[in-house]
Amino acid sequence: MNNKGMENTDYIKHHCDHYLGHRYDHMGKRKYGDREVDVCIIGAGAAGSVLAYELSKAGLETVVIEAGPFWNPQSDFASDELAMQNLAWNDTRLVAGNNPLSMGHNNSGRGVGGGPVHFTGVFFRFHESDFRVRTMDGAAWDWPITYRDLEPYYSKIERDIRVSGPRYFPWGAFHGPYPYPEREPISANSQVFRRGCDVLGIRSTVAPLAILSAPFDGRPPCTNRGFCNQGCMPNAKYSGLIHHIPKAIGFGAEILSDSMVTKVLTDRSGDRVTGVEFVHDGKTYKQKAKIVIISAFVVETPRLLLNSATPGHPNGLANSSGMVGKYIMPHTGHDIYGKFDEEIRFYKGTPVLAVSQEFYETDLHRGFIRGYTFNAHGSRPVSMARTLAANAGIWGKQLKEIMLDFNFYARITLVGEVLPYEHNTITLGNEKDEYGLPRPVVTFSYGENENRLIAHGVARANEILEAAGGQPAFVVPDTAHLLGGCRMGDDPADSVVNRFCQTHDIPNLYICDASVFVTSGGCNPTETVMAVAARTADHLIQNAGRGGQKREEVSRGKVTANAR
Amino acid sequence: MKNSDVISNNAGSDKIDIHYPDFNVLDLMDEWDSHTKEIVRRRLEPLPDREFFTDREAWYMGMIARHMVYDYRDDIIEWVIHHFDRKLGSGIGESQRKQGTPPEAVLVREGLKALDHVSHLSFGKDFGELDEKQQFEILAGLQMGKAPKIPQWSQVPQKDLFDKLVSEIVAAYYSHPAIWSEIGYGGPMYPRTYVRIELGLTEPWEARRTEKNRGAGSDEQ
Ligand SMILES: Cc1cc2nc3c(=O)[nH]c(=O)nc-3n(C[C@H](O)[C@H](O)[C@H](O)COP(=O)(O)OP(=O)(O)OC[C@H]3O[C@@H](n4cnc5c(N)ncnc54)[C@H](O)[C@@H]3O)c2cc1C
Ligand code: SF4
Repeated sequence: MNNKGMENTDYIKHHCDHYLGHRYDHMGKRKYGDREVDVCIIGAGAAGSVLAYELSKAGLETVVIEAGPFWNPQSDFASDELAMQNLAWNDTRLVAGNNPLSMGHNNSGRGVGGGPVHFTGVFFRFHESDFRVRTMDGAAWDWPITYRDLEPYYSKIERDIRVSGPRYFPWGAFHGPYPYPEREPISANSQVFRRGCDVLGIRSTVAPLAILSAPFDGRPPCTNRGFCNQGCMPNAKYSGLIHHIPKAIGFGAEILSDSMVTKVLTDRSGDRVTGVEFVHDGKTYKQKAKIVIISAFVVETPRLLLNSATPGHPNGLANSSGMVGKYIMPHTGHDIYGKFDEEIRFYKGTPVLAVSQEFYETDLHRGFIRGYTFNAHGSRPVSMARTLAANAGIWGKQLKEIMLDFNFYARITLVGEVLPYEHNTITLGNEKDEYGLPRPVVTFSYGENENRLIAHGVARANEILEAAGGQPAFVVPDTAHLLGGCRMGDDPADSVVNRFCQTHDIPNLYICDASVFVTSGGCNPTETVMAVAARTADHLIQNAGRGGQKREEVSRGKVTANAR
Repeated sequence: MKNSDVISNNAGSDKIDIHYPDFNVLDLMDEWDSHTKEIVRRRLEPLPDREFFTDREAWYMGMIARHMVYDYRDDIIEWVIHHFDRKLGSGIGESQRKQGTPPEAVLVREGLKALDHVSHLSFGKDFGELDEKQQFEILAGLQMGKAPKIPQWSQVPQKDLFDKLVSEIVAAYYSHPAIWSEIGYGGPMYPRTYVRIELGLTEPWEARRTEKNRGAGSDEQ
């Protein structure tokens, strides 16, 4: 990707090779060069950062290859929505289906830290039921792991990055307390949400957040500037860029940034992977590794597997089941706006400071299964106006008038569960990108369950806004997040990886990111992405030195979190 | 540029009431970090030469933008076109494109030509020669996918053309500091911090309604 003509032309030159005591703007001094390392991780996002940290800490030789830059928050980030669209994966994805997805800034990060560099920081555990949708609701599938398997890793991640949250969290299996105190004060937008909930007897809490409420590790607490989706300049918000990756470098990891992995390499038999091929600045390089972990997110992970097809794996690597790229799931992301007589000014404060999961679990009286989370969700002018125009068809005089009342709106976002459907897929298109690789096609259509869930959630959100003293104003359809495409399972015939994120087909190839999700849950997913990564790291560490990766026994007992 | 100058020649918005006529977000510029300052300042400076649009295309884009954001201030509209021009000229990805829709540079270029064809069919003139009402009618038709049928629409899907134009134009327009001032948006905020974020509280530097404008925001205004 070139940055030519991009408004925020970087005025610091990014280095592309980083390891302890070394930073280079060329590939001539790589730490391992032609040598085979223990682990090569593709993508330094939410999952990749945790893996890099845990594995290098355990003494494994680790190289992380990241397509985007190693951002410098002070000189690369800015308090500006338009310029900061460059934090996203802007490469063109082809979209199809009845509800073609917005990609880019809406769900895909690029650069060290990945999605969390511009995420909102709302940090939930999944509920026990999320792992057992088949058993409980007779739809979708159960995960091969349970809440109990992830529980120690949720706690570990929360502790490691000092998640802030309420003293008592009313829903799910975990009721707090969180390592850091809840945020105080909360924004006006979150206050009116809680006011409306109170009137209706709906429980709400201050949001659990991957954002500091007190100093930690040389980083300050949040200053409420509200630009979380543009990159946090004070470093109050978590991302691997400022936490796990620098620490991994301290433990000996090497990070190669601005380097796009274009192929995973296999040996002649095709039974094992041997490393990866990547492109930096137009030139192709190789990194050999005993174990390769793909953590490139829901679109690029399946795409890389499909693009790495060999005569022995004609349908793509790890795809003997045909499941690579299938069953992708966004969340519903409908924004419900209410207008108030008083000024709300929802540009102020961390965007989400209050939430409710009162409608999270299945209640068949509602006419659909599963449920959703409400996030009181602030906004900014570009995001509000653009989605009004592009998603709700409001423009011209009407848009102008609405936007003049910008300060009088409050907003609730409906983060709803989307069931996995076989027709929602990542496939390869006919068109090629700058590397000569087929562009991905992202196909998505809602099902009937989602349409009912959305109708229910929108009605409820409007009731909350009304109870708070507002007038329901408009609903902007949207989606958020993306999950699935390489789902985990015990049966190699209908899943891509096992319960430890090891591919069924190739024992030394792992996939560990949001793509392994079996179901979407009805809340923001990244704590689960990171907990799965920490669990995978534990498994790899326990197996290290056992002479390479053997296929996992499905019945193998769970491993426990590293004592810390 | 002073906010008040801007409003006085805002012909398209003459009946629109502004809550914060006295607020100018640029007064706070000294408080911004240098990277942000540089980015926003460039929106106010003389614009460099275009890279993508021809003169005629830029003229058309200007007319379209005025409809879409309901604003007639030339400096702001020029900046909006400049932003779009740079994006189309840059090769930055499109994030997403519907399968079967041409790349955005083709979509926009061919789309602008198609506007003339459809205008001839409806009114016997080029789009640029139409009066505002007629132009509006064509654009509103595009949005619904209901502009008169011409063969070009099979290559340039009209709804996709409209969505591309409106989302880029609107994003750029609401990135202009004059518009931030008008809507009372506090703008960039670093290294300065917010302390007063609760209902009814404002920092001393935030936009305030004048006495005359109090009570605005209700539906009866
Ligand atoms: C605007 C926004 C708001 C969000 N808000 C929240 C929130 O409040 N709470 C929450 O829980 N979640 C939120 N999310 C979602 C969250 O960002 C994702 O769930 C999370 O980032 C997924 O982690 P991942 O490791 O799977 O992928 P990512 O974090 O996306 O990391 C993938 C990395 O791989 C790199 N990569 C891809 N392909 C290649 C390749 N071929 N070679 C080398 N590198 C490659 C990418 O550049 C990227 O850095 C938000 C996301 C967005 C975009
Ligand atoms: S609101 Fe807080 S966490 Fe978000 S960008 Fe601002 S300082 Fe960072």
